[in-house]
Order: sequence, then C-alpha cells, then structure tokens
Amino acid sequence: MAKALEGIRVIDFTVWFQGPVSAQYLADFGAEVIKVENPKGGDQGRGVRSIKSLPVGDWNQYFLVINRNKKSIAIDLKKPEGQEILYRMVEKSDVFLSNLSPQLLEKMNLSYDKLVEHNPQLIYVTNTGYGRVGGVSRPSFDMTVQALTGAMARLGEPGQPPIYMGMGSGDAYGGIMSAFGVATAIYHRNKTGRGQCVDASLYGAQLFLAAPHLQQYLAGHTDAALQHSRKEVPNPLWNLYPGSDKWVYLCEENRDERFDLLCRALGADELACDARFQSSAARQENNVALIAALEALTSQRTAAALSAAFEGAGIVASPVNDYADVVRDEQAWRNNYFMKAYCEEVKREVDVRGLPVTLSKTPGEINALGPQLGQDTELLMMDLLGYEWEQIEQFKAVGAIP
Amino acid sequence: MTTALDDILALDLTNQFSSSLSAAFLADFGARVIRIEHTGSKAAADPSREAVWNYRDDLVHRNKQSLALDLDSEAGRKLLRELAAKVDVVVTDWQRTDLEQLALDYTALAGDNPGLVYARISGFGPQGPDADLPAIDELAAARSGVMPTLPQPDQPPVYTGAGAMHATALLAYGVIIALIHRQATGAGQEVDTSLFAANMYGASLDLQAFLAIGDDDPQHERMLKPISRLDVSNPMSGSIYPSADGRWVTLTMPDTDRWWPLLAPAVGIDEHDERFNTHDKRCEINRLALIEELEQGFQQQPGAHWRQVFAEKHMSADVIERFDYPVQDPQVAANRYILDLDHPSFGPIKTLGFPIFMSDTPARMNSLAPCAGQHTAGVLHDLLGYSEDDIYQFFTQGVIA
Repeated sequence: MAKALEGIRVIDFTVWFQGPVSAQYLADFGAEVIKVENPKGGDQGRGVRSIKSLPVGDWNQYFLVINRNKKSIAIDLKKPEGQEILYRMVEKSDVFLSNLSPQLLEKMNLSYDKLVEHNPQLIYVTNTGYGRVGGVSRPSFDMTVQALTGAMARLGEPGQPPIYMGMGSGDAYGGIMSAFGVATAIYHRNKTGRGQCVDASLYGAQLFLAAPHLQQYLAGHTDAALQHSRKEVPNPLWNLYPGSDKWVYLCEENRDERFDLLCRALGADELACDARFQSSAARQENNVALIAALEALTSQRTAAALSAAFEGAGIVASPVNDYADVVRDEQAWRNNYFMKAYCEEVKREVDVRGLPVTLSKTPGEINALGPQLGQDTELLMMDLLGYEWEQIEQFKAVGAIP
Repeated sequence: MTTALDDILALDLTNQFSSSLSAAFLADFGARVIRIEHTGSKAAADPSREAVWNYRDDLVHRNKQSLALDLDSEAGRKLLRELAAKVDVVVTDWQRTDLEQLALDYTALAGDNPGLVYARISGFGPQGPDADLPAIDELAAARSGVMPTLPQPDQPPVYTGAGAMHATALLAYGVIIALIHRQATGAGQEVDTSLFAANMYGASLDLQAFLAIGDDDPQHERMLKPISRLDVSNPMSGSIYPSADGRWVTLTMPDTDRWWPLLAPAVGIDEHDERFNTHDKRCEINRLALIEELEQGFQQQPGAHWRQVFAEKHMSADVIERFDYPVQDPQVAANRYILDLDHPSFGPIKTLGFPIFMSDTPARMNSLAPCAGQHTAGVLHDLLGYSEDDIYQFFTQGVIA
C-alpha cells in the first residue's frame, strides 16, 4: 500500500505524550521515524505502568502505542561523540522534532542554528509549553497549561470545581497541531527546497480547544467565560437528560414540529398542549420549566428505552456512553478507530487506538508497536549513518552508545 | 512573505465551525480558499449581519474569498461543478446524499480532476452502519465514553466541545499529507475525519488504558466513572484545590520525591512529617490524609500568592484561570495566539490568531471574513474565464449574487 509520507525521515527527540504522539501521526502515514533516546532509561513515558492508581494490563500500553511504527536509537547526547552521531543523522533526515525546551536543546548543542549547519533544508520542530517567543519557559504539563486557557473554568455546573478535559486531552491536541505544522513545512520544502522552524505549543493549541467560546468572549460576551447550568440552556431540546440508568444527549432544534415529535416519543401529550411551551419563543422563555418537565419524564426510563422511542420518532439523540460501550462500538472498529496489533512484550495481539484520519489511497497502518530502547542502534549506525564497525566500537567505548 | 500553500486552490463547502476552521487554517498558510454561499441561505440574506461584529465568521472564514451562487438553479450548480473541476482541495461537511444530488461527491468530481484531495468531516466515519448519521459534535461526544468521566461524582456528564476542535486539526493534517502524496504521484484521494474519531482521540490515553485493562477486570469501574478530586490518585499530580479567594490551583508534579521538599513548606506542612515522607506514603498509604492537608493548606492564601510561589520554585503548577487571563497575557500576544486588529466597521478588536509558528512561511492575516458574494465576479472571471457580459447575465438571471 502506498504511503503518504514515504521517504520522509524524522528524528524524534521527544518524551511523554505531546511530542511522541505528533511523531506517531507522521509514522502512521509512512514516515521513517527514529526515536532518539537516552541510553539510561530512555523516554520517561516508558515508565508509565499505571493510570488513575490502576495497574494497566500486562503490557506497556502507554509507551508502546504512542511510539508505534518507530525505530529507536540510544545515544548519550551529553557526550560530544553522541552529538556527532546526531549531527550525522540530521544530515540524512528531513525533520528534527523535539518537545524539550529550546534552552535545554541549546545547551545540548541542538539548537536550530547548530543543526541547520548540517542540513540547510532541515525542518526543525519544537513543541514548547508556552510558545516560541515571549520569554516564558517553565515546566509545562497538559493540565497546568489547560488551566491558563480558561477552557476548564467555563465547564461544569455553576459552583462546581473547574473541569479538566481528560488525561492527555491537551497534549493530544498539541500533537496533531504539531503534525499539521510539520506536514505544511514538508509540503513547502518539497516545492522550494527551503526548511524552517516550526513550533506548536501546548498553550497555543489549547487556546483553540475552546475556540468558539473564547472567540465569543473576545467579542465582549463575558458570560462565555463562566459555567452554565444544563437546567437553564436556552434551547431545552438541545440538552442532556438523565435516563434511569444513563444520560442521553438530545440534539434537536427548537421548532414546533420537532417539539411535537419529541412529546409524542415521550408519550407526553400534556406537554405538547401546555401553553407555556406552544412556540419556540415560549419554550426558550420557559426553558427552566420545560427542562424540569422533560427530565421528570426521561428519568423514568432507561437510556435504551429512550433511544428506541427517539429512533422510532426520528428524534436525534444519543445515549451518553461510557468506555465499556465504546470499546464494543462496531462503528469505531469498522473505521479503524480501534485496531489490533501484535505486541512482542506479551506475544499476542492487543487492542489499540487506531487512526482518526482516513485516507482512501494512502491509509495509515500499524506495522509494529513501540520499539525497545535502542533496538535499532547498531543497524542505523551502519546502514543509515555509514559507520564502520571499528568506529561503532569506539563510540561504545566512550559510552556515546550502549 | 512567502506562504507554504500558495499554489493551492480550495473549495469550501462547509457549514460548521470545525470544518470551516479547517479550511481557514489552509487559507492562513496561503491557500486560495473559495467559500460557496448559497444565495438563498440565511447568512446571505440576513440584514442584521452588519449591526454587530460577526466574530464567528471573522475567525472561521478569515482569509477566504466568497462566491455566492443559487444552488437551486441548474445554472448555479453547473458553475459550482466547473469550479470543482479546477480546485486542488475540497473541504466539506455536507451530508453525502446532498453532495451526490449535486454531483459534488468524490466519484463525480475525481473523474475530471484525478488530483483532487477531497476532505470531509463526517459524524461517524466513512464506513459502518452509522456512516450517515448527522455530523453533530454532541452526538459524537456522547458516543465517545469520555463525558461521564469528567465531572465530580453525582454531577451530570460534561460536554466540552473539544472534540470538534480536534476534528479541525485532524482534517487539516489529513489534507496536507494527501497533498504531499500528490506532490510525489499526482494522485488525489479522499480524506475523512469524523467527530466521533476526534472525540475518541481527545480521550485517547483513557481509552487505550481501558482497552489494555480488559473488560473483565473489576477494577475498570474506576475508569468509567468520575473520580472525586478528593480521591485523586496522586495528591500532587492531576489534582485541584481551592484557594482563599475561590480561585482554584492545579498541580502536575508526578515525581513527588523531587517536589515534596519544596511544596510541603509552601503549604505549611512539615517536610519531614512521618505520614508523608516517602512517595508511597504520599500516593498510597496516606494519600487521602495528604489530600486533606493540601486542601487546608491552599485555602490559607489567595490564587495570586500561589502563582508567585509556583513561579519562584519553578513548580509545574498553576492557577485555573478564566478567559480574561489569556486575553491580557503578553505571552499570548507575543506568539500571535490572539491578535489585535483594526476592524473596518467595529474598530479595535481581538480575535483568535494562529496556533502554529512557522519561521519562513508564517500564517497570515490578509483579510477578515468576506461578505457573501464579495468575490463572485472575480472568481468567475479568473478561474472559469467568463466575460463581463456572461457574468452580468448570470447576475440578472439570479444565478449569482
């Protein structure tokens, strides 16, 4: 099968989630991604064996899925000899991608100015916390950056604590923004031969996670920054309602014929005739009463019964599923949003997160889960970098490679 | 200034914020994006349009051109198909049946335009029984499993809207890699991302963990339900606490051995307190006691105090802010994440900028959203070769506006 990024070589000098997942996108679509890791332990993400205090399965799912389709070379970049190896990789690569801080990269002699000496066409990509300029450089994690954007503070019922959008939610977004930037730079370089610097920061990406609301706030709608109750939404037909077991999300326009259909589906003739709810304006005006009335009806039935009734009436709604439902969702499997992959660590096929973008002629693939630390070091030193065996022995002797 | 996509001509057949913004991202990096507005549509006819700043359109349609056509007329549909035969990219969120009816589906267009990259945001993906469900982000989010996990216990599930924003970036990425493939081979193709996939992707760490834990492990209940902030797995990481002025703080310091000696005195706990002097004691044995101590400690001082402490000690921790914070944050302005502009009708405004920095081909802000039909004549002339007379005819017949 043809691959969209065939022939693109990426040096992936990243740790944890945002940087690795950005490179994963490139690898999934055919780029040759070589993960550069410190020989002493490698990417810290290799150590994540639990989530929410739960030991997770019997294989290293956190690291192996984010780093699928990649090779690994172990180099001690604190040593000049290690840097020399990396410079030779840069000569032979299209993209250098790192989510270490620009200051640290500079200290390691891996700044753009340094690397571009070895490859004038290089695309040099950082994933900073707070942006490439402006002077702020401090430790950044998904949640501490999400906190600054205002996106958390507007979620949840009024008076409740702010809502974090979920583990890795912002990293994943920074990762795809970064991949988009890299791809755009590759497209440009293919035309012009010019490389450049690219940065996709956690802060910049996460400001877009709440883009519709932030933009509304910028236009002077200050209440866009605040929490809003589901008991007071202007259109009661577009809202969350509790079933007796699960919640359902009702997504209908506030129009008379849709309201009539909804009442019929719920067997609620009295609501359909209620003077307070006779027009879309009346329903908006009496939203609190209507939401309470609908809630009283939905909470008597299971989500399955509600879904069946809604489907029969042509009402648009979905049960609010949990992860146990999703992993069984046929739609997710049919579209390769979940896939199977062979896991060396446990010698069996495992279920993995798949490909959220579908390309009809160059679909993504999962050929292998994440590499063992340094597994490709010698092969890459010989085949890609053209070192003789004696030189490799010397690099080993000084500890530049294990 | 050069732009990365200046050789790309794109057709924007979008209605939704997320897909319109994908097309805007292409325009930001230099693509010529022509947006089709149906002359019968509300947007084209609404006289109140100019009374207040249309902040939405000035974000999601910036840098685009507008062509207004009557899609109810055969002549209007013919013009649209002529244009579609010439473009490099189509971005759409229309339902497949609508596209087929207008002969604007991929199969209909690719025959004459084999290099076409045809990109669509769907609700639930191109395959499977639900492929033609409407593309509504709330429906997709509800299916993705994440909503029940986000609130505090006994609170309603939370819809964030972030899934649609993931879809924006995923589709833009898909378009560009398809264009890279076309550079090599000349071949176009279809690109699809769905709101369902995008919502799942936002929850990818949890979902992957759930896949690995397995369905039969009784522990997995903790993955399905909200976890109280007073039961967080690591009191120093992923946790939130209220401060004295009601603003919340959040900590991400998973390596508690490293940070405890700095954090403990700052919140008034003895660093050597026997209950908390190892990582295991902090995160396992006396986890709940530590959460309680931190809850008390952070309430002794206001948010501003904590921000200063976190900054001085270089802690990965911060205050949870509202939108007013990024709006006045010089870091945001310096990186062009929010722009100051002078709007021709509304004067000085702030609008969301560009999430990606490129040194050689930066994103541009050429123009705000076009008025409906602002570029109709120009597009028909430049791209389709119609004469002034032809265009006048179309106009008088009501085919264009």
